Amino acid sequence: MWILLLLPVLALAETTATDEKVVGVFYFKPIFGHVHQSSSRASASLTTIQCSHPLKVLESSKVQASPEWAYVQAADHRGFVLKEFLSEKRPECVMGKYPKYFDSFNLDLSELYYWGRLNDQYLQGETRAH
Amino acid sequence: MISTFKAKRALTSSLLLASSLALGQVEKLQEEKELEVVDFKSIKQVLQKDGLSESAVQKKKQTAVLKKEQTSIERQRYQYPTEGELWGLCSEYWLVKNAQLLVWDFVKPDYGIRENFQALLEKLGFYQKRFKVLLLNSPTLVRASVPGFDDETILLLSVPFIRSLDLSKLEISLLLLEDFLRLEAGHFKKAVATEKLGRLAGTNFYGAKPDQALVEEILRKYDEQIHRKGFTFQQQFEVTKKMDSYLKAHPELWNTYFKLLGKIDRFVKVNTQYKDYVRMYPAPEMQLKWLSPEEKVL
Repeated sequence: MWILLLLPVLALAETTATDEKVVGVFYFKPIFGHVHQSSSRASASLTTIQCSHPLKVLESSKVQASPEWAYVQAADHRGFVLKEFLSEKRPECVMGKYPKYFDSFNLDLSELYYWGRLNDQYLQGETRAH
Repeated sequence: MISTFKAKRALTSSLLLASSLALGQVEKLQEEKELEVVDFKSIKQVLQKDGLSESAVQKKKQTAVLKKEQTSIERQRYQYPTEGELWGLCSEYWLVKNAQLLVWDFVKPDYGIRENFQALLEKLGFYQKRFKVLLLNSPTLVRASVPGFDDETILLLSVPFIRSLDLSKLEISLLLLEDFLRLEAGHFKKAVATEKLGRLAGTNFYGAKPDQALVEEILRKYDEQIHRKGFTFQQQFEVTKKMDSYLKAHPELWNTYFKLLGKIDRFVKVNTQYKDYVRMYPAPEMQLKWLSPEEKVL
């Protein structure tokens, strides 16, 4: 009787646990940014993250994303971040280099949100070397 | 009888005094011995032999070095960013503060602007140049270029302006190039830089509060320059002549640029929404004259 009751729970645990794989831990590069709900710059923000924030990059057959996006986990949130914003090594961040000065900006939640959106909206480029 | 008693008492007291003196002498010797035990000089040779004296000195030195490093690390936390970093911080903070006014947070199609502008820069020989283009969904600000982090260029361009003029990808890239050259010429930085920026950038404020007015003053000057002041005829002449010299080797680009200026000139003259354009970027009509070959008087 007890086994019959536990069976659906065990089956659910298996489908969520076996499918996902952690590719590695990467660090966020821009000053601020967002973990998006879907793999699109315009999609809603699940959470705002700042430079050097560690993100677990996940791989799952159930999650489809365009090639320039990574499926990540930040704390309890699972969402999408542009791959060009990720670094294998901890980046050097302005707020890390100048913590006391950066603190003096006293950014409010709205400013944090927009600073993250700014990096989503930029069309960034760099011309090649000679 | 009395005299015998006196003599006995004197003898006893002298004996007591002598014994007490003798006792005092013994105690002093013990103290001296104790002092000798703790006297560093007396065991110096032993300590030196064991290397304990050297390690004590080294430990003292290490502690001093660690304390110095700790203070230095703590001091570094109170550093102002370098000038290049401050420009980037100010520009991005200004964009964040003006997000609602400039309306840059909107969904837009991929116009291929990044690829086209990058290709144009490379064609003209601008290598290893980093840029960011931010499209605005507002006619409030038509165009601008502001410094990013460490020599990066941030280019702002109004989508309603692009649509109203029905600009091609090449025309958009040429407009961006003009703004890119304007920033490279240093006109914007010269107009916006404050005395405090030069004085405080890269310095330390350990033991004091950071100067809040440093960024506030610059942001006020950003507003003034971008929304009200604009550029002078002289500055605009210099930029136009630079465009002329870069594009001369590519006639198709030069012709497109010349036609683009004509297009803008006609548009801003009749469209009241963009009446401030001529004041900010004087003036497409003059630019056409500066580019036109001089007529020979016979």
